Amino acid sequence: MAQIWPIGGGKGGSGKSFLTSSLGRLLAAMGKKTLLVDLDLGSANLHTLLGVPYPEKSFSDFIRKKITLLEDIVLETPINNLFIISGAHDSLDIANLPYEQKIKTVRAIARLDYDWILLDLGAGTSFNTLDFFLISQNSIFVTTPEPTSIENVYRLVRSIYFRRIRQYFTATEFKTLEREVETQFGEGSFNKPDCIIQVIKLAHPEKGEILESDFNSFKFKLVLNQLRKHDNIVLGSQICKIIEKHLGFHIEFAGNVTHDDRVHDAICQRVSFLERYPYTRTAYDLRELSKNIAKSGNQQLMLRYS
Amino acid sequence: MQKDFAKLNYYEMLDISPVAAFFEIRHAYNAALQIYGADSMVSYSLFSNDERKKILNHLERAYLTLINAQERKKYDKELGQAGLLPQVEGRTPLKRPACIYDVKRQTGVKIMPKKTNKTILRENVEGNKKISEILSRPEISGTDLKSIRNELGIPLEEIAQETRVRLDYLTYIEEDKTNRLPAIAFLKGFIKAYLKILCLEPVDDICARYMKWLENAGKKS
Ligand SMILES: Nc1ncnc2c1ncn2[C@@H]1O[C@H](COP(=O)(O)OP(=O)(O)OP(=O)(O)O)[C@@H](O)[C@H]1O
Ligand SMILES: [Mg+2]
Repeated sequence: MAQIWPIGGGKGGSGKSFLTSSLGRLLAAMGKKTLLVDLDLGSANLHTLLGVPYPEKSFSDFIRKKITLLEDIVLETPINNLFIISGAHDSLDIANLPYEQKIKTVRAIARLDYDWILLDLGAGTSFNTLDFFLISQNSIFVTTPEPTSIENVYRLVRSIYFRRIRQYFTATEFKTLEREVETQFGEGSFNKPDCIIQVIKLAHPEKGEILESDFNSFKFKLVLNQLRKHDNIVLGSQICKIIEKHLGFHIEFAGNVTHDDRVHDAICQRVSFLERYPYTRTAYDLRELSKNIAKSGNQQLMLRYS
Repeated sequence: MQKDFAKLNYYEMLDISPVAAFFEIRHAYNAALQIYGADSMVSYSLFSNDERKKILNHLERAYLTLINAQERKKYDKELGQAGLLPQVEGRTPLKRPACIYDVKRQTGVKIMPKKTNKTILRENVEGNKKISEILSRPEISGTDLKSIRNELGIPLEEIAQETRVRLDYLTYIEEDKTNRLPAIAFLKGFIKAYLKILCLEPVDDICARYMKWLENAGKKS
């Protein structure tokens, strides 16, 4: 079964698409059959980073049911072993994705026959984005060393947590849960994962147990992109530490990727940064990152999706 | 699963082992201040001012207790009685020599990174166009290394002194006298030491490119 790794977080422009395309190239070069799926709600542009200027099929065709099988919208790229599902042309298409169809998409992605599937999820925390995150127990969060971007990572971690809980309850049950938590722990406590889980474990012990094991099985990784020379090199590990301690998720710091103006140059010239500038610190960082990801992609289980 | 910070014991708050030495406690406290301080980029968006104040108070209490031998003994006893410190019972604390030269440890400690010679050197390396051009080549020769060193204005003698590599070897390396170079295993070590002194990173990668150059130079001659 495929290794599925959603990539998201940070804010617009933190480098998710650049990292997705770079990791895709490196995994493909390791001989792994790799698929990149562009699920960015706002700005689908992964194809451009892969030298596919005019994708003749895209996710829109699948959503509009012009093409029924997900495997039929997969496109080849000029890179050996690397394939792409190009993002929706029209952001409305994916933003309005009906629930049924989203489930269908999620299942279809999980069944695709690749060694590795990377999902470029964009920056938001909309329900659609969160549900795509929850396809897999793995994910990669990208942030830059800026407070705004880091803030979004915390927001994303929290949202994933809530979304996961929400998936096990009906809307009414969820409301009751909220009231229950607030009466037991006081106003504002519904923000605290710790309090919610305690109540769930009392009121719905089986669900509490499943959720707890879900949360323990999440494998999050953090990448700090665009690190400049005066930035704090331990920032990434500090962020992971604080997420673990205060949000209760295990998250591993997967590495820094140095800022290099030539990334911009390579993108503008529409050439692969890794090929054009292989001996830069940034290219080295990307290679190390791909090794880290490839190594930890061994035992993956699908999460229950309800 | 998450625990309320106030419910953690002092060792957990500071992320240290129950047998941590004093210097480790101090180090952990400094590291925590760096993370939870009001101007920290890491935590500012995660806590309200109130929450942060509470956490800082807890940390201070933890630190002041553990750093005081008597207070710490009392606290350990309380924890032990509450059954919260099982790993310490019946085990003598690990005697570890304080490794002050542990580089990894130091990266976490620095509160205010002082501008050391190394940082200045690193800035010079990064700010220099010629060096950055040389470093982006697929193969790097000894002559290239020499130009970098000259750009940085560091005498070869200084490198010899710091790396303890014999000056004549360093000269052969820089002058590309490939027939006089030592055995590969030694050569690699020398090159890496040289690169480290000049803060040229990533060391392994650049060294590999030097070796590649050497291989090709051997083929040509
Ligand atoms: N390591 C880096 N060094 C220098 N520039 C970078 C680096 N990574 C990304 N960039 C720059 O940031 C820009 C935005 O990157 P990218 O499109 O990958 O962001 P994104 O997170 O996918 O944004 P969006 O959320 O809008 O999709 C790139 O065009 C590139 O110029
Ligand atoms: Mg993008």
